[in-house]
This record gives sequence, C-alpha cells and structure tokens, in this order.
Amino acid sequence: MGDDGVGIHVIRMLKKSLARDDLEFKELSVGGLKLVEEILGYEKVFIIDSVDMDDRQIGRIREFSPEQFKATEQPSPSPHVLNFATALELYKRLEPSKIPSTIRIFTIDIDPDFTFRESLSPPIQKAAANLVEIIVQRIEQV
Amino acid sequence: MKTVTINPVTRLEGHGKISIFLNDEGNVENAYFQVPELRGFEKFCEGRPVEEMPDITSRICGVCPEAHHTASTKALDAVFHVDPPPAAKKLRELLYSAFFVADHTTHFYVLSGPDFIIGPTAPKAERNILSVISKVGLEVGSSVIKHRSDALDVIAMIGGKRIHPSFGVPGGVSKAITESERAKIETIAESEVEFAKFTLSIFDKIVLGNKDYVNLILSDTYATETYYMGTVDDQNRVNFYDGKIRVVDPDGNEFEKYPAGDYQQHISEHVEPYTYLKYPYLKKVGWKGLVGGKNSGVYRATPLARLNVAEGMATPIAQAEYKRMCDTLGKKPIHSTLATHWARLVELMYAAERMLELSRDPDITNPTVRIIPTEVPDEGIGAVEAPRGTLIHHYKTDEQGMLKGVNLIVATVNNHAAISMSIKQAAEGLIKNGEVSDGILNMVEMAFRAYDPCYACATHTLPGQMPLDLKIYNKQRIVTHNLRRP
Repeated sequence: MGDDGVGIHVIRMLKKSLARDDLEFKELSVGGLKLVEEILGYEKVFIIDSVDMDDRQIGRIREFSPEQFKATEQPSPSPHVLNFATALELYKRLEPSKIPSTIRIFTIDIDPDFTFRESLSPPIQKAAANLVEIIVQRIEQV
Repeated sequence: MKTVTINPVTRLEGHGKISIFLNDEGNVENAYFQVPELRGFEKFCEGRPVEEMPDITSRICGVCPEAHHTASTKALDAVFHVDPPPAAKKLRELLYSAFFVADHTTHFYVLSGPDFIIGPTAPKAERNILSVISKVGLEVGSSVIKHRSDALDVIAMIGGKRIHPSFGVPGGVSKAITESERAKIETIAESEVEFAKFTLSIFDKIVLGNKDYVNLILSDTYATETYYMGTVDDQNRVNFYDGKIRVVDPDGNEFEKYPAGDYQQHISEHVEPYTYLKYPYLKKVGWKGLVGGKNSGVYRATPLARLNVAEGMATPIAQAEYKRMCDTLGKKPIHSTLATHWARLVELMYAAERMLELSRDPDITNPTVRIIPTEVPDEGIGAVEAPRGTLIHHYKTDEQGMLKGVNLIVATVNNHAAISMSIKQAAEGLIKNGEVSDGILNMVEMAFRAYDPCYACATHTLPGQMPLDLKIYNKQRIVTHNLRRP
C-alpha cells in the first residue's frame, strides 16, 4: 500500500521492460525464513523493497549485499524476527548448494506516512522508474 | 480514485515495548507491554468485493497467511449462505494441517528452541538458531528444514502456492487434487508423523530430562490463572478448522460454548490509551483490569489454552501425548505459561496425524469441490484456530457483495492481557533488589515468547526484524537498563 509497496510497483514495471524466458518475477510480502526459501535454487536474485532508515532520504536508492545485514543476536519474540540474514546463514549451513551465487538487495527510502493508497507518491514514483533502469542495466550485464 | 485516510494507522510494523518500573528496593512495582497493531486492513477493505478478502487478508501477515485465508474463506461461505461439499472442507483442513506442521515446527526449533537447547541464561550472542544447529547437529537441522519445506510443498499442491495460497472460494475450493498428488501428500504426511514423534523425543530429552527446566516450567514465576478459549469438535476434542468455541474457567469447568458466529455475545474489547492493541475479555465476566482469576474476564487462546479447553485429541498418538502431558503436569487446566511449548508439540503431533488421515480419506480426491453460491450476500463470520489462538473474520456486505464492514479478531490480540500479566509476573519473580542481568531479561522475555506473539505484517525495516524495546526504570523513572533489539 502506498510507498511501502514500491517493490511491487518496480517488479511490475520490470515485467513489462524485460520479457525474457530466463527471468522470473515474484511479488512477495514475507521476510526471514520464507523469503530465503523463495530464493533457494535460483542462480541470481535481486530483491527490491522499501525501507525506512534512520538517515532517511526520501527516494534514495541503495544496494546491499547480504553480508551487510546483521544476523539476529538472540532468540526472537516471533517468527517475524528471524531476520533475512539469520535465515540466509541457516540455509548456507544446511543447504549450501541451493544458495544463489548472486544476491543483491535494492532499497528505496520512503516516509511511512501512514496514508493508505494504492499509488505511489511523486518522489517515489520517480525513484521507482530510476531503479527499474538500474536493474535493467544490471540484469543485462549478468 | 477513492482515498481512505486512517489516523492513527499502525499497519506498518512497530515496536514491541516492555517497560518495567522498580520501587525504592529495586523490586518490580509495575510492568507494561505496549505494541502497535495492524488494524488498517479493516478500514481499507471497505468498498471492495468481498470475494477478494481471502487474498487480501492473507497479506496481513507473512507468517500465517494460511490462517487468514482459511478464516476468510469460511466467512465467505457464511456471507453467501453456501455449505461447501465434503471434499472441499477436507482439502481446506488438509492444507491447514500442513500449515500447522510448518508453523509449530518453526516455533519450536527456531524460536523457543534456543531458550532450552542453548539455555535461558546463555550469552545472548549464542541464543539463536545457528547455535541450536551447532549443538544438535547438521543432520537434525536438515531434517527440520526438510519437514518444514515438505509441509509447504503440500500447501503449494493444494493451495497453488507455498506462500499466500489462493484456493479458497465461497462454496469450496478452486481445484481438486489428483491421485498422484494425494499419494505424494500421504508420503509426506507419514514422514511428518515420524518427525513429530522425534521432536517430542527431543523435548523429552532436553527439557523434561532437565530438572531445572521442569522446575522453571512449574514455577509460580510463569504461572498465570486465567480463563481459556479454543475450538473443539462435537466430542470436545481439539479442532483447528471447525467446531464450537469452548471456554473453561480457571478451575477447568466449562464456562460457555458457542458457535463462532455468536462471538459478539461473548467477547468485548477494552481499550487503554497507552497501546494500540485492544484487550478482548469475556463479556459475561467483565473487564477487571490486568488481573487473573475467576472474577476477571481475561482469557488465553493459545496451544495450551486449546488443550485446557479440550477433553482430548482426535488422533491416537496426539491423544497419548496429551494424556502424558496432563498426567505429568497435574490437574487441568494447566496454568504454566511455559507449558505452552509442550502443548505446541502435542498439537504438532495432532496436525501431522490429521494430515495423514485426510490424505488417506477416500473422498479427498473427489472432483466435486465447489457449490456455486446462489444466495444474495449479506453478512458472515468465519473462524479457525490459528497457531497462536482463535482467529475470527466478520464481514458485512451490500447486496452486490461489496464490503460495508470488516472486523478481525486476530489470534495474538486474544492474549494481549495475559501476555502483559505474564511479563509482569515473570519480572516480579526474577528481578530482585535491582539486580538485572541479560539472562534475567531473557527469562522475562521467555514469558512473552511462549505465546509466539505475532504483531506485524511482513517485515520492511532494516535489518528486517520487529524491534523489541525493553526498558527498566528506577523509582525516579530514570532508565537503568535498556535492552533494545534494533
């Protein structure tokens, strides 16, 4: 919903831009274990999501490697809290052959302004279009 | 374009916040648990076609979309006044049993496991699933992942997808399963039954075999006397998919039993200004604050609550395990919050056995899986037992089937008051004379974690986990300890 859903908007735009048989697009609203289970067995994976950072700059696009994410330090109060990094580390130990050789995480800074709508705000719409261009180039490189 | 603005909105995930206040002697004076909850879904669904609800509400939560999808589908049956054919009900229950297997497995090994396998007071850097795997071995770890994954494969076979299944429709399900799929499910279910037995044996060895852990489970620090709620079949046995809601009092006597559709006659919600979560309570007893006992309407709806309201389990091995648990812990109802972990494993056993039973049901491949609704839609209520408690979806529509009103009582909310009380009780029992260590704080959190609480939708904050903030204040209301998981 709203800018929080920019990842889904980017995916849908990419689907239109990249009609290739060797690409698969998935819209997911999950994290942690389920997210990692969804990427197992693929060769290369790009994850796109909105984020709210302490040094928030609305519309900023950033790229992360999984190594830049910190594993959970202690048991978590709910399955939500087994974060992506911990879940990925778990699978690296248990199913190393299924881990994609490339995992990149692209994020767009948003302001979670708590307004419900299905469309994006203008700055995030612009950022989404820019991210689509970046990813198209990256995919063509790989 | 229609714009719906809701203020305040707590759809995005927030902080789970525990505040513990100490007196002059450094003992616990009070403790509060606060959390923002997602309630926006109820509002923005208004005006949408009701048949979209199973797909929309399954996005409420990345952990239990199957629970919302199933409760929503049952609500649609009621809205359209249609009774699905037997094969459709069995397929829904089969998928739902597979979901319980995956969910309870994850909770035991990944979330509560570190507390017991690594130890409640172990250094926090070691209390995680990675250390659990190091301790129990890669082979066990691989088996956990395999059985979780197999259960998700069953969900995909029946529901179309491993995540966010999309097969529930008013009057049934969208597709039948083939004999080949049934045979695969049967093979998986056989393995899940063996895995559940293995998991119970691990619990026996690591938890019940350790006198300190048993004493911890039975200690007053983790005992909270409340009413209990859960769904039972016509023989008062646990049922996740269908039945009547039964409530027992703190002495174990039946207090009330009603169809889920009557929930408004039995449940009310109390509101406090310091938390977005409401406090549901039993209407006939009334809200008396965050206190337990027979005169307080606080109730629990958890795996332990389900076993407390039931008179048994509907499958043989689970029944034997249920009896063993009740015999070991003494008279029912069992008030020890930490016994919820054991109850969860009894339920894991039941879910696996039920999967197997349904996979062998001669009717399960019957191609008649839907009755097309012909009635004018109006209002309907659907309920299931989610892993964390009773889940209710209530929809009202116009005659075109467009939503006019939505009310969701999500599983964790049922337990809000009891979670708050359990945290306070654990803090009172563990924090003495101002002495607070990381291990003690973790043991306070264990009271919270036993409920397997679930507040937010899919995670979107970096590094991708629900923040939890635990603060301890001295008499001058100055923070003396702050444990914050970023």
